[in-house]
Amino acid sequence: MNNSTQSADSAAAQPLADTPVLSGSQIEKSISGPSGLLTILHSLDIAVDNSEAIAIVGPSGSGKSTLLGILAGLDTPTSGSVHMLGENLNDLDEDQRARLRAGKVGFVFQSFQLLPGLNALENVMLPLELSNTPDASDRAMTMLDQVGLADRATHQPLQLSGGEQQRVAVARAFVSNPALLFADEPTGNLDSGTGHKISDLMFSLREQLGSALVLVTHDETLAMRCDRRLRMGDGKLTSV
Amino acid sequence: MNFPQQLRFAGRAFKRDVKAGELRVLALALIIAVASVTAVGFFTDRIGRAMERQAADILAADLLATSGLALPESIATRAIELGLDTARHTRFPSVVVNQDDESQLVAVKAVTSGYPLRGALKLTTLDAPTEPAPLDTPALGTVWIDVQLKNILAIDQGDTLTLGAKDFIVERLIQYEPDRGENVFEIAPRVMLNMDDLEASQLLGPGSRARFTFLMAGEVSPIDSMKDWLESNVASEVRVQSVRDGSPQLQRALTRAQRFLGLASVVTVLLAGAAIALAVRQFSLHQADASAVLRTLGATRTEVVIWLVLRLAMIVVLASVIGIVVGWFAQLVLAKLLQTWFSMVLPAPGIWAPVIGTLTALIAVAGFGLMPVLRAGRVAVMRVLQRDYSGLDTSVVMTTLIGVIATYFVVLLQSRDWLLSAIVVAGVVAMLGVFALFGRIIIKAVRAVAGARYRLSVAGLQRRAGSSVVQLAAFAMGIMALLLIAIVRVDVLEAWERDIPPDAPNVFVVNIQPDQVDGFKQRLDNQNIKVAGVFPMVRARLAAHNGEATLADEQNERQQRRARREYNLTYSNDLPIAGEIVEGEWWATDGTAEPGWSIEEEWAAHRGYAIGDTLTFKIAGVDVTAPIMSFRKVDWESFQVNFFVVGSPATLVDMPATFVSSFKIDSDFSTTTGGWAREFPGIAALDIGAIMNRVKTLMDRASLAVEYVFLFTVLAGICVLLAAVQSSQGERIRESALLRALGASHHQIKHAVVAEFAILGAIAGLLAAFFATVVAWALSRFVFELPYEFNGWLWIIGVLGGAVGISIAGYFATRRVLTTPPVVALRNTA
Repeated sequence: MNNSTQSADSAAAQPLADTPVLSGSQIEKSISGPSGLLTILHSLDIAVDNSEAIAIVGPSGSGKSTLLGILAGLDTPTSGSVHMLGENLNDLDEDQRARLRAGKVGFVFQSFQLLPGLNALENVMLPLELSNTPDASDRAMTMLDQVGLADRATHQPLQLSGGEQQRVAVARAFVSNPALLFADEPTGNLDSGTGHKISDLMFSLREQLGSALVLVTHDETLAMRCDRRLRMGDGKLTSV
Repeated sequence: MNFPQQLRFAGRAFKRDVKAGELRVLALALIIAVASVTAVGFFTDRIGRAMERQAADILAADLLATSGLALPESIATRAIELGLDTARHTRFPSVVVNQDDESQLVAVKAVTSGYPLRGALKLTTLDAPTEPAPLDTPALGTVWIDVQLKNILAIDQGDTLTLGAKDFIVERLIQYEPDRGENVFEIAPRVMLNMDDLEASQLLGPGSRARFTFLMAGEVSPIDSMKDWLESNVASEVRVQSVRDGSPQLQRALTRAQRFLGLASVVTVLLAGAAIALAVRQFSLHQADASAVLRTLGATRTEVVIWLVLRLAMIVVLASVIGIVVGWFAQLVLAKLLQTWFSMVLPAPGIWAPVIGTLTALIAVAGFGLMPVLRAGRVAVMRVLQRDYSGLDTSVVMTTLIGVIATYFVVLLQSRDWLLSAIVVAGVVAMLGVFALFGRIIIKAVRAVAGARYRLSVAGLQRRAGSSVVQLAAFAMGIMALLLIAIVRVDVLEAWERDIPPDAPNVFVVNIQPDQVDGFKQRLDNQNIKVAGVFPMVRARLAAHNGEATLADEQNERQQRRARREYNLTYSNDLPIAGEIVEGEWWATDGTAEPGWSIEEEWAAHRGYAIGDTLTFKIAGVDVTAPIMSFRKVDWESFQVNFFVVGSPATLVDMPATFVSSFKIDSDFSTTTGGWAREFPGIAALDIGAIMNRVKTLMDRASLAVEYVFLFTVLAGICVLLAAVQSSQGERIRESALLRALGASHHQIKHAVVAEFAILGAIAGLLAAFFATVVAWALSRFVFELPYEFNGWLWIIGVLGGAVGISIAGYFATRRVLTTPPVVALRNTA
């Protein structure tokens, strides 16, 4: 582990109350397409305060997921900067960004993204193990209990229904008590009844733990549950 | 994560991998690689040792020390120190007299108990020459004689023979003497007696022309030390001979057998390596998603890579253990099968086979897996959000380079030959390159001509162009190996067997006097025996090369002894059978040729002779000098009468000569040659059928061993096909789910899958047949030095077999494509 990662750790451990947990300024993303350079994001600014929930809505292909990826440090902007948990992501390489996320940033994906090789409990333990948190197994079990899947702890992802898989994913996202949660169409692969249950679960856990949330969705009802809504269109964000 | 955590983490994933069948193909490929390398290693080791022992029969020992003077006691002391089995024999010419006062020149051999240390004498009584009547050593006061002497002196069981000052009772007839072949031209009949009787017979006085031989046998390592010790410690007039210096026929048979076995294991390893490469690539591709998720959750690239590497290491360990156990049992079964053919308990194998097996697995996985695993570790994390982020590094240069280096070391482990490994690897790379290039072209061509009925299949091929070409190369490689084994092996083995022609002579007759030649020819004619020729034989010593005495030339006594050696020369108008001129020209065949020599090429090369040099031979006190006019290649395996040195008639026709001939008889040796000795006094007929049979048996056994060893190659080849089919399974499941969702029937999809594999198989078979032909030709020409015959079946079987075999294999391997419900397949894709 190198110095800058350590500084990232220590900064993240005590987030400053008056600075946003996540902010992006002048974010631009271009990719080269068949007809030349294609700009997906145009000079975006965004800030998410501690414990704030924001929703990014917009039609398919508007660049919501690209923005989410850049904000989460999974991808880099062509220009502009992102500050997460007090660190400028531009100053960090990929591994340092991963270290910064470990145990402090949770994810819920549309396609669940559970590791097929591990059972439900082991999947929930992952963020704790990656951040060297003690009692990983006990804490993961408690979390599984909270999402109502204690009796499915040893099941493989493929042995679970879609709703159950997403509940495991929610448990995995919250188990490390993250300061920040990213959710990408978390109900997109579920029927509406199950989707409601998942969003209830997600929002109640978020309130309980005080995590900030960045939610990407095209489901307006789900977006309404957030503190703020931003609409993505033509590569720009506008407040709704 | 600290290391123990990582280990636990990887361990958990590994357990799931095993349960979920994620690593099934990789594990299978590894187990087959380790099992076959281990089994082939154990097996070739044991068979190799057994075959050396068989060859040792020809010497009746593993190592011989022979001298014209009594051997120093230090040899026996040293041999006993090294724990070797020992025996002695002493050979010398003498005369025996029978009860009717008829005398005969004989070759006496006095032996100690223990002789022969390797191989066995075949003895019968004189009354019942077909009933084996074994004895250990001639009892005191008795002798054993061979068929020739029995015929010459008309001896019966229990008759008395006088040898020197002592009478001996004839107790046994020697039907086969293992080391008799060592000196085929020791023409006099054999009398064998106990060494302790030698003194009593007062046969050996000072100046006797005796050869004293000390025989040794034992394990390889003490034999090697003994050989080294002999070569550096005993006086140079002692000639040291080991198994490897045995007769040229056996030596070549042995070398070829070892090359065959070596080739079998190299091909096995190459195929298993290809299967491992495919499977490990597949594993890494599967792990790309998981590694993206892990990194999203905070794992570093190093942690992800370690996680993957640890799982691969675990599979290597597990597969190696299973592979070694399987390999051990496989060789036990094989050894047991061959045990009955070998007339001995097979020697125990060494410990190297499992070590090499494990190393092979490790190098293969590391070499083929390193880059894919690194790539999986570096996959773009955005993949968790957007699947079209493949993020996989598409540069293949590094992957290929490391794969090639790994292949090189894996082959090197088998062949232990740096250059040969480089040639093999270069050949494989070139071959795969051609497979890939032509595969692409042929797929395009097939698409252009395919009708609507097959469009779906051909479209499938082209859609998966990348993996199709990889599969095609793998199929072609697998089919090629199978073709080589199924057909070329038979061709090469047959050519090898043809090497001993069915009409190869099994009787040599020597010492025919010039005035007996015509009579003897007539006699053979009466008995309906066909003779290729009766050749003059002139005994000579090499005296000078380009006018310089050769004795002075030779640097050590050993070479001097060689120089003092007597050679058998012949003269002829025509080029002798089983020979061809490689340099210079044969002389005029009408009898007008000037004096000149034609020399066997290796004999000449060894001594550094050139065309135009003059050689002087001393014959019966006369120096005969003539220039070297040609070099000849001699086929020693033809079993025809062959000579190192042939002179033109003008060179040797006036010199004292006896005549020699060889021919094949189908009837019993002693019946056929029975009256000859009395009718043509002095001639000696030698039965070399027994020796030839041993060479033939050795070849048969060797080819049998090779066939068994090739079984593993077949398994490895099947594993490659399996791995190649599996590599596109996921893709196929998704595609067929989509097609079925769109309304394609079960039958249509099955048809498309089978047709796609059939087309792939036919193309692979075509390429494989082409390369199998090239490889077979090259192997015959350069490795086994046998003539090659073009085999048209190769192409037919290649294309048809490829199409049928691959479509069947493909159908079974992708049954899941048809049985997976579309909804499951599509949900997993999302």
